[in-house]
Amino acid sequence: MCIDAPMALIETSSYTNKINNSSSNQEQREQQREETLDLTPILHVKDVYKSFDYKNNKNNSVSKIANYDRISRKQQQQLLCNSTSNLRTFTHDVLNGVDLRIREGEFVTIVGSSGCGKSTLLNIIAGLDRPDSGSLLVRGAAEDRDKASSTNRIMIFQESALFPWLNVQENVEFGLKIAKVQKDRRQQVVDRYIEMVGLSKFSESLVYQLSGGMKQRVAIARALAMEPEVLLMDEPFASLDVQTRDLLHDELVGIHKTTGKTILFVTHNINEAVLLGDRVIILSSVLKNIKKEFRIDIPRPRDPESPELYEIKKQILKEFESDLQIAKRK
Amino acid sequence: MICRLLRENDDNDNSVAISSTTSLAAEKESTLRNDNSKKHRFDITDVANVALFLAVFVGLWQLVTLLEIWPKTLLPPPAQVAISISELITSNSLIIGIATTLWRLVAGFAISIAVGGVVGLAMVKFQGFGKTMSSFAVGLLTFPSIAWIPFAILLIGFNDLGILFVVVMASVFSVMISTYGAIRNVPPIYIRASKNMGAHGFALFRHVMIPAATPSLIGGMRQAWSFAWHALIGAEMLITTLAGLGYILAVGREFNDMSQIIAVMITIFAIGLLFDRAIFLRLEEKVRSRWGLNQHAE
Repeated sequence: MCIDAPMALIETSSYTNKINNSSSNQEQREQQREETLDLTPILHVKDVYKSFDYKNNKNNSVSKIANYDRISRKQQQQLLCNSTSNLRTFTHDVLNGVDLRIREGEFVTIVGSSGCGKSTLLNIIAGLDRPDSGSLLVRGAAEDRDKASSTNRIMIFQESALFPWLNVQENVEFGLKIAKVQKDRRQQVVDRYIEMVGLSKFSESLVYQLSGGMKQRVAIARALAMEPEVLLMDEPFASLDVQTRDLLHDELVGIHKTTGKTILFVTHNINEAVLLGDRVIILSSVLKNIKKEFRIDIPRPRDPESPELYEIKKQILKEFESDLQIAKRK
Repeated sequence: MICRLLRENDDNDNSVAISSTTSLAAEKESTLRNDNSKKHRFDITDVANVALFLAVFVGLWQLVTLLEIWPKTLLPPPAQVAISISELITSNSLIIGIATTLWRLVAGFAISIAVGGVVGLAMVKFQGFGKTMSSFAVGLLTFPSIAWIPFAILLIGFNDLGILFVVVMASVFSVMISTYGAIRNVPPIYIRASKNMGAHGFALFRHVMIPAATPSLIGGMRQAWSFAWHALIGAEMLITTLAGLGYILAVGREFNDMSQIIAVMITIFAIGLLFDRAIFLRLEEKVRSRWGLNQHAE
């Protein structure tokens, strides 16, 4: 791993250049179009870089070196590669200069294989994680770093993050209670969103009494009750059976239509991505960056069998295939 | 990787046809589990089982005394112990003993929870302190509480405070460690979700950390309570203050009054059982059923 690391870096960067050259014209045009459409996107992930250190070594000697965290990344790499024997500490890039603009009301899906950094990207947007470099602009303004997290971007997780000590209604109410919203106002909001996800009959139910699909419905209601500008969804339907998932797709499309919220939806499922998104962003685990994006101008609800969607799916698969070949060559 | 993606695509294509036939109502009905089959608190068979168990126990005891392996003064029959209990009650000494002991128990336990809870939380807050303190506390947790008694006698003397000191020392470390562990083991997803919804600082602690840690906190309290109870009786026997169940036990030994000893032993047993069932078990059951943790027991 140690010896390979610098070579791999070089190869990745040269590959990035090649891609940039070949499609730069098209990209530029697209970017211009976007900028003229909306000068300040609601979210702008600006040149975000993120890496994680893995320290799965018994004696952990590198991490014990004084100021390890403070020295530059280049020095760290050198340190790692110079040190011999049983060292297994290494730095793993997850996001390498990601730049993404999202307009208000857009439904964007991000698709990529596991480990391509899509959850990390979402965490950074949610404010649950910080980028190593780069920034997140909300309506053109940089996020306040001191603030723990902003409640205008609410995350819905893959696993149920509902609180088992609260019932459905109390779960949906949670964020409002934290925000010290008045009781009668709280009740109003909670009722509205529980009804929106079709769970009015179950507002007194306890979390363990709900099915997986119902749990995610509550999670959606809980997020909506915060009345955020952006919904962030991290593979929210990945652990559901296909029937329930399709049902929830329809409901999510309905919610998007009625509330007009901006939705950022991360998935590893190509079908889901093309069925829901106005734009499908391909995140590559080789580039550690956005590889390509597809604009889908088909009105929702979409027919998953339609030839247009099939064509896009095929193109997306091709992108993944080329990724795989590069990974193999390495 | 490609294979997986392709396969998933196929899966989804197939599913579209199926999904149109399933309705929302069907999903709800099939998945909502309402446990109407909740047991009554006092089941008649439970009562019968307890009665049978007691009858067999007392019968065996009677049988052993009838065999006269030991003289009646050393192993009195159940009837004599019953007389002893009624004598202790009529002379008020048992009631006073129970009251004194329970007062010490509640006071000592309350101090333990307050101190142990605060230190436990400080251990979570300050990592370095937590690491050091937890090894220190584990050492003192395994330390026999009776070994504190000479120290308490010399430092504080033969009084209530000396006894309280031993009780607190016996249980405070258990509270400390269980608080530390319970809070540290709160699933990170709850914390991330609530931070995302704007909870931080005290609100995060009050509305997320504490409720999420409650099941293991109750377990820790239960253990601490039993440590306190063990230490209390021991301390009362050795730090004589002329009151308390441990003191009556010690007096019984002084006067070779075996039936009094057994009478007090039964009282101690009953109090221990009562507290565990009436308070801790009930609390634990309440939390467990709310969280849906009782599912696998059925």
